[in-house]
Amino acid sequence: MMLFLGRRTAALVVAVLLASFVVFLIPYVTPGDPVRKIIRSRVAGDAIDDSAVQALTAQLGLQDPLWTQYLRWLGRFASGDMGLSYTSRTPVVDQVLPALWVTLSLVVMTLAVAALIAVILGIAAALNEGRAADKAITAVSQAFIAMPEYWLAPMLVLVFALELSVLPSAGWEGPTSAVLPVAVLALRPASHFTSAVREGMLDALGADHVTAARGRGLSYFHTVRKHVIPNGLLPLTTLAAVWFAGLLGGSVIVEVIFAIPGMGRLLFDGVLNSDIPLAQGAVVVVVGLAVLLTTAADLVHGLLNPQVRMRHA
Amino acid sequence: MREGLIIEDLHLGLRAPAGGPSDSSARPVLSGVGLTVAPGEFVALVGASGSGKTMTALSVLGLLPPQIQATSGSITLGGTDLLAASGAELNRLRGGRIGMLYQQPKRMFNPRMTIGSHLAEPLKLHRGLRGRQARAHALELLTNAGFEDPERVARAYPHQLSGGMAQRAMLALAMAGQPELLLADEPTSALDKVLERQILELIDTQRRQHGLGVLYITHDLATVSAFADRVVVMDAGRVQEEGPARAVLGAPRTACARELLEACALTRRRIVVAGEASGLAPSRDILALNGVTKRFAKGRGARPALDDVSLSLREGEILGVLGQSGSGKSTLARLLVEVEAPDRGSITRTLPGGAGKDDGGSVSRGVPGTEVQLVFQEPHDAFDPRMKLFASLEAPLLRQRTGTSDERRERIQQAVRDVELEPDLLERYPSQCSGGQLQRLTIARALLLEPAVLICDEATSALDAVTQRKVLDLLLRLHRDRRLSLIMISHDMNVIRYMSHRVAVLYQGALVELAGTSEFFANPQHGHSKELVTAARPHPTACAAPVACSDLAACAHRVAAMATRAPVVIGGVGGGPEASRSLDLVSTPDA
Repeated sequence: MMLFLGRRTAALVVAVLLASFVVFLIPYVTPGDPVRKIIRSRVAGDAIDDSAVQALTAQLGLQDPLWTQYLRWLGRFASGDMGLSYTSRTPVVDQVLPALWVTLSLVVMTLAVAALIAVILGIAAALNEGRAADKAITAVSQAFIAMPEYWLAPMLVLVFALELSVLPSAGWEGPTSAVLPVAVLALRPASHFTSAVREGMLDALGADHVTAARGRGLSYFHTVRKHVIPNGLLPLTTLAAVWFAGLLGGSVIVEVIFAIPGMGRLLFDGVLNSDIPLAQGAVVVVVGLAVLLTTAADLVHGLLNPQVRMRHA
Repeated sequence: MREGLIIEDLHLGLRAPAGGPSDSSARPVLSGVGLTVAPGEFVALVGASGSGKTMTALSVLGLLPPQIQATSGSITLGGTDLLAASGAELNRLRGGRIGMLYQQPKRMFNPRMTIGSHLAEPLKLHRGLRGRQARAHALELLTNAGFEDPERVARAYPHQLSGGMAQRAMLALAMAGQPELLLADEPTSALDKVLERQILELIDTQRRQHGLGVLYITHDLATVSAFADRVVVMDAGRVQEEGPARAVLGAPRTACARELLEACALTRRRIVVAGEASGLAPSRDILALNGVTKRFAKGRGARPALDDVSLSLREGEILGVLGQSGSGKSTLARLLVEVEAPDRGSITRTLPGGAGKDDGGSVSRGVPGTEVQLVFQEPHDAFDPRMKLFASLEAPLLRQRTGTSDERRERIQQAVRDVELEPDLLERYPSQCSGGQLQRLTIARALLLEPAVLICDEATSALDAVTQRKVLDLLLRLHRDRRLSLIMISHDMNVIRYMSHRVAVLYQGALVELAGTSEFFANPQHGHSKELVTAARPHPTACAAPVACSDLAACAHRVAAMATRAPVVIGGVGGGPEASRSLDLVSTPDA
């Protein structure tokens, strides 16, 4: 298990480093001179002095070789210094951390809701395979998996915020403001999870050991509870982690529509305003977290499945 | 009140699909099966696959598949009517008064749970034991099942056990509810002969200690000859013959029992006859491997799957390829059907009807040739479970884009008749057919494309002895009628001897011997070949080899075992029982 952990951690570090290098390169491949952008962001007035440009270039060490610059950038980044935002002229880290907290709570709530719905509907569908309930659940989940968020979100706002006035249409204050964004964001993972739970349950139901458990005299419900459901839900752990990672960066649309001050919103603003330090900081944090979560999911899967656990022991 | 298990005039039929018309023309699954198992009696239920043995056992447990139902008859256990029992009553009976062993023990355990937690279930359910008491009982059950380290086994997960260990753990599980009846559905068919005997002895011990009635289902008469009090022979859903083991085995009255005995015991004689009869003079080479090397594993020191193999198949020849698992047999087959390309060397194909083709190390693009077809080991895996068999057989024809729908149907039906099956079968799904039927269908499918060469990769290994014989005979007939060249890939010496003109031996990816079949078996040259041939000879020390003991009459082991119990004498060969005792039974891994 320790070796397994070690290997996974090494892979994780390599993945994050690779991603950070790509992110580091962004200002070098985007049009526009970063030095001028920095000066423009800090000095009032339009005229930029050439000597100031040269001075700042030297001060920032931009004449050094690329890899020295990368290492220096990485070192500062690791110690929590993500630079200054071009637009707000405040440290990026002070914007990223609160936004991260908002997005994490949004995503965790979304996944919890999605998983709850999926477990109930998926199990119900599998236990009623081929019957009307199964067909209805399958049809609905397949329809919703393709429902675009940018359409659903305005629709829900229209109905619940504008027509019925029961929920706020935007913002991130108090539990009611989370209802609509979570609903919009949870729809697709809930559909995906439902089909996955249904498939997992059907596999588990058809397993030979389930027949054997019935042959030992376990009642149908006892067998389902003890031998089918735990086995059938196993695939959900991996799937949830994949969605977790995806939603961290993929909540952009919902955050923008509902004006939620999260990572997606931050990233969106950073890119829109060519605020390179802000975009860099946000992307590295999101990517790092996504890689970490995927690894965590593998570990959890290993803990739940003795065959995986022992193969790596 | 009559004791033990009594099945009277049991009829099982396919349930009509909901809403649909009932199909009265469908062949019933069981028609009028009657048998009894008295307390303490060991009854062997014998028959080829598809004869209805397993359905008989499942109907006792009330665990028939949903599409099958009992239409008439009765099953009682110690006076309790099992067909009329309620769900709760059945739950008390299953695992309580009736224990069950299955063919594939490893798949019968929940992979997520330890053996100990499996044992806890029936102990709590049927005997109300929990905690420390349950633990002590579980360890005792495992000890009785022949484990020397029950503590460790209780903590183990199913995947950590070998097949033999898993079956013993399953026996412990079956005994947990102190049953009066043990149903054993081919519990040893997947095990080698040493493990098989060990399991049988354990069952026999339990039988004697607890007065357990045993209904032991098998396709191999030889297996149970030493243990069974009575033998019931089933075929086509009916009991064909029934009597004391000695009588049925010594002087079978029905053709079906004789056939079973013959297939299990006397394969050797037929092999020689068939080998001589098919001695057509082979002519030119149609497939030739020239110094072929194929490597899957990367890195230095990794052994290639095939290492510099040069081998040819002549037109109209049956070439046997012998080798243990990992010897490169299947890689050879994959190369020949162009699923894989050789890393070095070349494969020359000069097939009749098609232009000659030299495959110099690259897979040809486009539609692969149809002159070489492959038959796989596991017939159930060779068909899409969601497609009706007709659709599965039609698929290769559709790819050829020839003929109309009617012509295709005609051809497929003819092909199915050629492999001695009814075309009605084509409307079924794979799960509704037996392994033997499906394997015939894979052959039919391969033949639809009119290949010149058929490669059978362990094509009969998953089949029971009777079915195997029938499939082999079918292949021989096709070989003669159509001048089909065959490559028989197998680890089974009997199959190879039965079928081949020449034998090629693969050992760790290298071709170590190539000789005519009779020379090979008379005088093997390579060390590995000698080992294989010796193991296949009936000899007490060779009983670890699964093939050796299928020769009932000559196997000293079996005769010795018979001498200790039912004195059934078929051959006049003696032998010592100590040979089997000295073998290390516990640590034989097989998975």
